Amino acid sequence: MAAVDRYQYLLLMAGCVVVTLPLEFAFGARVWRQPRRLLFALVPTVIVFALWDIAAIAREQWSFNAHYVTGRELPGNLPVEELAFFVVIPICGLLTLEAVRRILDRAR
Amino acid sequence: MWQYTAAAVVGVVGVVLLEVRVLRTGLLRTRAYWIALGICYAFMIAVNGWLTKLTAPIVLYDPDATTGWRVPWDIPVEDYLFGFALLTLAMLLWDAAGPKRRDVRAMDPAEVTVSSPARET
Repeated sequence: MAAVDRYQYLLLMAGCVVVTLPLEFAFGARVWRQPRRLLFALVPTVIVFALWDIAAIAREQWSFNAHYVTGRELPGNLPVEELAFFVVIPICGLLTLEAVRRILDRAR
Repeated sequence: MWQYTAAAVVGVVGVVLLEVRVLRTGLLRTRAYWIALGICYAFMIAVNGWLTKLTAPIVLYDPDATTGWRVPWDIPVEDYLFGFALLTLAMLLWDAAGPKRRDVRAMDPAEVTVSSPARET
């Protein structure tokens, strides 16, 4: 088992950030460039889903393969990878929404 | 049994109720939202497929907590509800914090008689 495997989940999240970055600049999505609005969207979302995750982990509804995570955990046995997921995936969604809006606006 | 399934349904209903009762951004009636959600789902199948593939899973599910339905490959169907709630909550809050959009306003009160979001495509 290669050492890099423990970063698989984190690298997957990093990949999502990189792949969606052109939406900000090539499609003019303006998500990263509105940090206050982004925080307003992210903070409650991350809190709600982190609490859901912590509850589900405590009840053993799901668990994480030790081979593919760093093992670093936040309070509530929440892997740092899950926190990254709840930050990264909504950002990808917002970039997609704003990029689609720019394209529809242009087609109008 | 089916605890994740139940929680995921509650998550979806909760987010929709938040929009209908509280935020009222009109997001769910816009074409851009449904197109964006479709694109997100396409990429989600790749990312989620990698996370849940049974040959080398990163996330493991208690079989008792889900329906056991996995489509395509090994993605639990519950994850689509989870993803809907996660993406839609962030998008709703994003719109609630932003300027009111023209495409939302144009479809607002008078013209829209159906409240079902799926009708407007």
